[in-house]
Amino acid sequence: MVLYSQIYFLTMGYVMVAAVAALLAAGVLSLLHKNKRLHLIISSAILLVILVSSLTLSAYNQSFIVLNLFIVYPFSMFFTALFSMALLLVNMLASEYSTDYLSFSMLLGFSALGIFAIAMANSLITILLGLELITVPTALMIMLSGKKFIEAAMKLFVLGAVAVAAFAFAVSLTLPYGPQFALTPLSSNASVSSGYLIVLALLLFIAALSFDASLFPFNLWVPDVYTGAPGYVTAMMAGINKKVAFVALFEILIVVMYSLSGYFSSAFQVIAVLTMFFGNLVAMVQVNIKRLFAYSSIAQAGFIALGIATATQYGIEASIFQIAAHTFMIIGTFAIVLWLESKNIKTIQDYNGLNYRNSFAAFALTIFMLSMIGVPPLVGFVGKFLLFTSIIQVGFILLTALAVINSFISVYYYAKVIMSMYSKRDKERMDATWSINTTIAICLGFVIVMGLFPQSLMSASALASGSLLLIR
Amino acid sequence: MLPFIGMMLLTLIIGTIAAAVVDEGRSRRMAALFTGLTMIIAFGILVYSLITGSVNVHEDYIYYMVQFAVDFNFQLNIISFSLLLMATIVSFITALSGNTEHEREKTSSVLILLFELSAVGLFASANLIMFFLFWDVGVVALFFMLYLLGSANRRHAAMKFIVYEILASMLLLFAIMLLYFYTPVHSFDINTIIQNSPLIPTSTQWLVFFLLAGAFLINMPVFPAHLWLPDAHTEASTQGSMLLSGILTKFGGYGMILTFLLVPSGYTFSGFLGLLAGFSAFYAAFALMTQHDIKRIIAYTTIVEMSIILLGIASQNVYGTTGATYAMLAHGFGIAMLFLAAGSIGYMFSDRDFRALRGIIKSSVSTGYTMLIGIFATTGVPLTAAFIGDVLIFTGVLKAFSVYATIPLFSLLLAGAYLYYVINKSVLSTKDVTQNVEYIAREQKLGYSMLMFFIFFFGVLPFILLNFFSV
Repeated sequence: MVLYSQIYFLTMGYVMVAAVAALLAAGVLSLLHKNKRLHLIISSAILLVILVSSLTLSAYNQSFIVLNLFIVYPFSMFFTALFSMALLLVNMLASEYSTDYLSFSMLLGFSALGIFAIAMANSLITILLGLELITVPTALMIMLSGKKFIEAAMKLFVLGAVAVAAFAFAVSLTLPYGPQFALTPLSSNASVSSGYLIVLALLLFIAALSFDASLFPFNLWVPDVYTGAPGYVTAMMAGINKKVAFVALFEILIVVMYSLSGYFSSAFQVIAVLTMFFGNLVAMVQVNIKRLFAYSSIAQAGFIALGIATATQYGIEASIFQIAAHTFMIIGTFAIVLWLESKNIKTIQDYNGLNYRNSFAAFALTIFMLSMIGVPPLVGFVGKFLLFTSIIQVGFILLTALAVINSFISVYYYAKVIMSMYSKRDKERMDATWSINTTIAICLGFVIVMGLFPQSLMSASALASGSLLLIR
Repeated sequence: MLPFIGMMLLTLIIGTIAAAVVDEGRSRRMAALFTGLTMIIAFGILVYSLITGSVNVHEDYIYYMVQFAVDFNFQLNIISFSLLLMATIVSFITALSGNTEHEREKTSSVLILLFELSAVGLFASANLIMFFLFWDVGVVALFFMLYLLGSANRRHAAMKFIVYEILASMLLLFAIMLLYFYTPVHSFDINTIIQNSPLIPTSTQWLVFFLLAGAFLINMPVFPAHLWLPDAHTEASTQGSMLLSGILTKFGGYGMILTFLLVPSGYTFSGFLGLLAGFSAFYAAFALMTQHDIKRIIAYTTIVEMSIILLGIASQNVYGTTGATYAMLAHGFGIAMLFLAAGSIGYMFSDRDFRALRGIIKSSVSTGYTMLIGIFATTGVPLTAAFIGDVLIFTGVLKAFSVYATIPLFSLLLAGAYLYYVINKSVLSTKDVTQNVEYIAREQKLGYSMLMFFIFFFGVLPFILLNFFSV
């Protein structure tokens, strides 16, 4: 019996990696058969295979290495499951709204390879590869959508290149201290006394990944690119790319660099506070909805960074939970924003009376925003609650107070949007398309159900964070 | 014994869904039906308690967060039960008779049911996470009530309301988390914390006390944090005002009673709190005298009365706490009645400035008398429930502090004097009677009479509830 389950387990691992490759192949093939619907079905089926196999694998609570590049254990499986769900939604949105869906899907295949590579990374080189595979196709996705998007694409591309270069430099700096880039703790002589190089490497890692994770002060590109990119790419950047950078941060800081936890913990306390204040304060004065949510997602990234500041298992669990929660909140939000943008509804003023145009979309957006504020019983509350308790647990009372203040500040701009949606009656009805409605419904279901019964997601993220610390 | 709280919550959840699903015309009937059922169950608890001799309900449901041993668990003691009973009655009358102009019935019905759900859950919560959860649900429900159903300037008022209330809830959340980590046994359970909280270091207790007191003073509301209330009432619909003053402010009062149990070291500050309450009562009483809008006047009486209630809580003896609970119960009925009548006046005469109104008692007899009795009920005239509450509060205050601490009684007198002046000008005067255009709907008269009944019922037979309070 043990043998059978072992064989099943190994097979599933290879099936999953094969599915990731198949996704890429399907993307390339779609350029040949040029059938949008066929490709949507194929890619969704492959993503479902990845989802199911990663959920199965995470239940085993074991680890094994595939092709020397990837490692299968609950932490990686949690994120492959999460990202495959998110990619399903983004793929669906793009199939309807992308001007050039087939090229997009080819790029999405590359991007997905990068995303899953980082989620399952077994070495620093895998993470580096993954980062490149995410940044370049994303920039191309934006560029393909039309001439007016080129500015955003260039910004992302140039800054992304700098970030990847910084990351590569940091990786090379760790060479004297660790065995061949493997995702294992640096050798014991990698303390600060052994030289400033390791501290420099740490700083470069944080800087490079803060760029993608949109942490202050490396996030000044975020509002421009989020606003300038087409909505489905924005949903992908905010919902997936940013979270992938957090995954890489966990893998590098908690596993490789853990001997320097004192350093990055204090760095992240500062980063988290600045990011939250930056995001929330600037969001208050925005009129463009997409820009507002860009800043709001920066603020949310600051909340997620609180968990890294604790450098404990519980803190990482809280971060993981909040990552999963925010992925669905922001993808649902940007789905609505994308749909309304295609109807030329862009500013807060334009959102007036959305409830009378489409009450389902208004209700869903309200729930997403309440969840981002942290109103129970929604999933955002549980995430924030876990984060706050995790920082109180390690004794950062002042940090908690600042986080609570930020949570309070954010009410102002979310309430502004909610009020605008429910004002001005007597507008004509507007129906959303099927992909928008499906995306909203899935995200809404997740936010409400996981808010009322958060236990399953909580134990999954606890398992993930536990296994991340065990691999050390 | 029946699972009373579960039944109430289930009834309200079903009711919320039912009111959201049925068409516009039937939703008000749905709301009245389900709030009525909830009220009947609450009376079931009363009957059950009278038979067994004590209020002792404890119910556990599914897990919410296993890691923190938090589940949907509920309990009742006499303090929370008194408020729960009041909340269900006021919600029923709000749903039944608050909206006789039939304006956006569906929205209001759903929100009333949702708010009652939060009120029942909050008063019955046995752990602080449930308390916080239902608190926020209530705040959000009332925010929409204010914003969707309010009058012209509602945007400003609703924003003020949500900002103040979310500030309160964030302070509350911070305090709850601190309590969890500094209680030696790490628990969110209210009873467990009460047993173990003396072991928390005093400085931490003070921090938690300040946070909790801040949250609840905003909600009650008391002087420095009261600014949201008059605006909210001026703009809210009749139903919104009834729920806001009748029930939401009691969240803060109940929380304040809990605060002293959760952090016993807070007793150090009870004197200051009493002083603040006294000042707040006089401040509100004087602020009251500059107002002309009937709803705004009534809103300020809420601040006066809640300050007196805070004084009773701050006295920290059985008379003070019992009195505060009883006064909150009485105030819930009284203020709901006043707002019901004021809303009806505003609707009938399309003016709420008392200087422009004359002889309401002639043109609309029932509203006139309701207004009069409502003012009796809020100022604590004997035979009304508020009288019992005030007597107990000031007995407690006299025992705890000195005779000077009873000075805030005069604020009640001042507020009462102005209210009688207002009523004399607008309701009772028979010169140039303002003509009304509408007649009063039957269900509104039912609402008037039910509230009147309960005001006198709990005023004449106080022992029904008071017997359960241990001396």
